[in-house]
Amino acid sequence: MPSVATVVFWLIALLTVGSAVMVVTAKNILHAAFALCLSFLGVAGLYVFLHADFVAAVQLIVYVGGILVLIMFAVMFSSNVVEDTAEGGRSRIGMIVGGLVALAVFGIIVGIIQKLSVPPPSSSTAMPLVVANQHAAEPFAPTVSVKAGETGIGHLLMGQYLLPFEFASILLLAALIGAVVIVRKEIT
Amino acid sequence: MPPSILDGPDALVNYLLIAGVLFSCGLFAMISRRNAVGILMGVELILNAAGINFVAFARFGHAKLNGQHLDGQVFTLFIIVLAAAEAAVALALVLAVFQTHKTIALDEVDELKQ
Repeated sequence: MPSVATVVFWLIALLTVGSAVMVVTAKNILHAAFALCLSFLGVAGLYVFLHADFVAAVQLIVYVGGILVLIMFAVMFSSNVVEDTAEGGRSRIGMIVGGLVALAVFGIIVGIIQKLSVPPPSSSTAMPLVVANQHAAEPFAPTVSVKAGETGIGHLLMGQYLLPFEFASILLLAALIGAVVIVRKEIT
Repeated sequence: MPPSILDGPDALVNYLLIAGVLFSCGLFAMISRRNAVGILMGVELILNAAGINFVAFARFGHAKLNGQHLDGQVFTLFIIVLAAAEAAVALALVLAVFQTHKTIALDEVDELKQ
């Protein structure tokens, strides 16, 4: 008898995978965008099952609230959805080649997964984790302990991963300015 | 003990399989779609698959250390940030291409200027 968590997990997995397939197969690009929304929601559910609550929240806010709205904007501004539906949107040769390549890659992935030797999941993930600090000499390393959950992520972002964090902010600024420069109208 | 379907959320293999399906779907979309926005959706699916893999390995890959390592979650956060930046720039490009070419079917946009 499967537990409730198992049933919910497989339902979310089915939602994620099924709507991902719909994203790929839908002829109307707007339907694909809505299916992508469902797929993002399913991935957020998977993050919750992986005890990554903060990542799940960020996934909801950034992907569903941000990127998906951007995609919807682009769909409605640019492509004429009806025309895309009428001509089928893509060529037969592209479908065949794409299907073959995707199936081959999926087969490779499954083959690698079968060879994986997996340790059992750790049981005490909810408790704060205190490990011996191996990076005590580094100036930005956390000094006392590594904590679980959002606190731990904050410590890592402000400590060990401070440089990538700052680079990410510079990248976001560059992307923002670049997007504005690309779409603005020339003032003559 | 081989993983069974009853393991559900407690087996790393399940997450890896889901991520594999997402990755293959994204690859298929990138190859077969002509619409630029459709290709961008494929890229987003692939990025999501990578994120699932990072978080899954962060949860299941450190059993010897008696706890959870958060590095994988931090990497997934960086992936999400990169995806946001990439989506913004890509959609700006799509709009710019549409203004000049009146289409975003990528095999019809084969010149750099009008």
